[in-house]
Amino acid sequence: MLKILDFFDYAKSESLWMAHFCTGCCSLEMAAAMGPRYDWERYGYMPTPTPRQADILIITGLVTKKMLPALLRTYAQIPEPKYILALGACSFDGGPYNDSLAVIKNPTEILPADVFVAGCPPKPEAIINGMEEIKQKMKKGVPSAASQGGLWKEMKF
Amino acid sequence: MDTLKEILSSFESEYIENYKPTWLKVKIAHSADLLQVAKALKESGLKTISTVSATDFIEDNRIEMNYFFEDMLNRRNCWLKCDISRELENCKIDSITPLFKGASWHERETFSMFGVKFTGHDDLRPIIISQDYYGKNPFRKDFDWDTHEANTVENINLIADSFKREEAENEKNIDPNSSETVLNWGPTHPASGPIRLKVHCDGEDIIGIDPDIGFVWRALEHLVTKKDFVGAIVAVERLCFMDNINSMLSYAQAVEEIADVQITEFAKWMRVILGEVARISSHMMGMGGFYNAMGLHTVAMWNMDMREFFLDFLESYSGARIATASIEPGGVRYPLQKEMLVELQAALDKFDNTKEDIRAIFVKNPTMRLRASKLGFITEDEVHDYALCGVVARASGVKTDIRIDEPYAAYDKIKMDYVTQENGSSQDRLIQLFQEIEQSVDIIKQAKEHVEQKIQSKEFNPIKDHMVKVPKKLPKGEAISRVEWARGEVLMHLVTDEKAKSPYRLKMKAPSFNNTMMLNHLLKGKTLSDIPLVFGSLYICQGDLDR
Repeated sequence: MLKILDFFDYAKSESLWMAHFCTGCCSLEMAAAMGPRYDWERYGYMPTPTPRQADILIITGLVTKKMLPALLRTYAQIPEPKYILALGACSFDGGPYNDSLAVIKNPTEILPADVFVAGCPPKPEAIINGMEEIKQKMKKGVPSAASQGGLWKEMKF
Repeated sequence: MDTLKEILSSFESEYIENYKPTWLKVKIAHSADLLQVAKALKESGLKTISTVSATDFIEDNRIEMNYFFEDMLNRRNCWLKCDISRELENCKIDSITPLFKGASWHERETFSMFGVKFTGHDDLRPIIISQDYYGKNPFRKDFDWDTHEANTVENINLIADSFKREEAENEKNIDPNSSETVLNWGPTHPASGPIRLKVHCDGEDIIGIDPDIGFVWRALEHLVTKKDFVGAIVAVERLCFMDNINSMLSYAQAVEEIADVQITEFAKWMRVILGEVARISSHMMGMGGFYNAMGLHTVAMWNMDMREFFLDFLESYSGARIATASIEPGGVRYPLQKEMLVELQAALDKFDNTKEDIRAIFVKNPTMRLRASKLGFITEDEVHDYALCGVVARASGVKTDIRIDEPYAAYDKIKMDYVTQENGSSQDRLIQLFQEIEQSVDIIKQAKEHVEQKIQSKEFNPIKDHMVKVPKKLPKGEAISRVEWARGEVLMHLVTDEKAKSPYRLKMKAPSFNNTMMLNHLLKGKTLSDIPLVFGSLYICQGDLDR
């Protein structure tokens, strides 16, 4: 028998809205995933211009030092429960910009992600697959990684 | 060119030489002469400054300044150099911004990266670099990166603090009883991408716009110096993912020039095909971005549908949809199989089947015309003054196209003409995008036919001809290479050291930088609702804006 809380988890997971926020070049493949060929709205995903209505935040690739305060502020504005999808090599370890002066090598140490999608940039199918994994986590009511820890709580934004 | 030589010979110089058919290279002996030389060049018709770049020669204790003056219409350009002292107190040179408006941000960039002070510049604030690098000159060779990187968290907090401080200052400076306010447009605005426009407005009316850029600054110019010559293409192609092929092409040409390598005829034609495919896929996103900013997403969807077919070709050729890494010094990276041309034909067919619909519904759209034809005018003179190029320049009627003016790859064998519009409004820039897609499709058809013919007649061997060997170590030298990128002129200035394994300095000039400089000029006195439309029509990508 379904419990009432489970029902809300289920309902949320079937209409994932993501905050429309681009931090890096993977957003181009995210746009392709929204496009007609991959059409992620089939799965109930939709970009929303305001974080206040969003369920998930996508770290689209690289995060520079200057961008991080804006990213954290956007994250803080999303209502709970909120999840993070990290796209591409950059959001894991800096990827091709590992030696760069301005790119943060470990953005997910600061803001831990629930699901990583590999690639540089990841293909649209992979992005949709990553979103599906988040769906499963939401359905099970798994608490998000960023609510468990991460440096972000100690930082200014 | 001879008149230019005459003018320059009246100043004391170390050398004046012909560099390319369209370029004159000159090094003046005294940096104090710069303003006079610039003035003389401007009077003789070189009205545009492409970019200002510095090279830090730490061993000789000097900083070499490079100025690239251009005459967009008459195929005459001048590459001017001069030395200045490396010591911070004496690292000064006269600003040419009073003469060339387009130099303003380029000088600010050089100031931020190398600490060169431009005397006479009225707004010499740091640009692009994040706040923790202010005053530290990160591109100088003696900058200690490891020490700086040791306390990343403090650095980021410093940046957050500076945002807060700015907010508090605005609170203090603006009268709470007036209707004036400072509005942040971006970096989380859905149409903006990672850029922040600080819009000073009085109610709906815009008083001024101060773009705050650098949100995707990856220091690519610094990053390539840590990689070898082939590895550097990974950084170079990330200049902007929408059209990455032409940026690699520019870099590869510079390396080939220093290494003195001639690539095969087949590789040249392949570069044309790949470059035009990338241009099409970028322009389609550009059209989509324009309409997205107006609030209509249908054209983005239609264009993305078509774009997928062109990406299919890139994927079949290189295995990657976007980050293809398919052009490297010495030719193109992969051999060409027959099936790949089938994919290309499918993309061309798809475009031919859809283009009339797009023209009828979106390019001739009456609602769009009503709104966009009255906004964002750029005159021909402004194009020269602000060094605008590519789509924006041609939409204002300036006949400039590096594919024709300074043919590279196999463009000299292709039949093409300048595509231009007349008025230079936002609407013209949209129409320009569409017509350029049509032109690119035409070029691809010509190139494809030629390649197929030559393969048939066994003159091209698509399996073996694609690469020639380029030595791993390059001699000392420098080169500039210009290509017509999707958004306009990309100029790369590559400097190498003796027996170098990696670039000593790579300067990338990309067009969005100048387009963003125009925003204040275009939007002053307009209303807030005009920002997305004008911004969308300028075809700005933050990737090449920040580099």
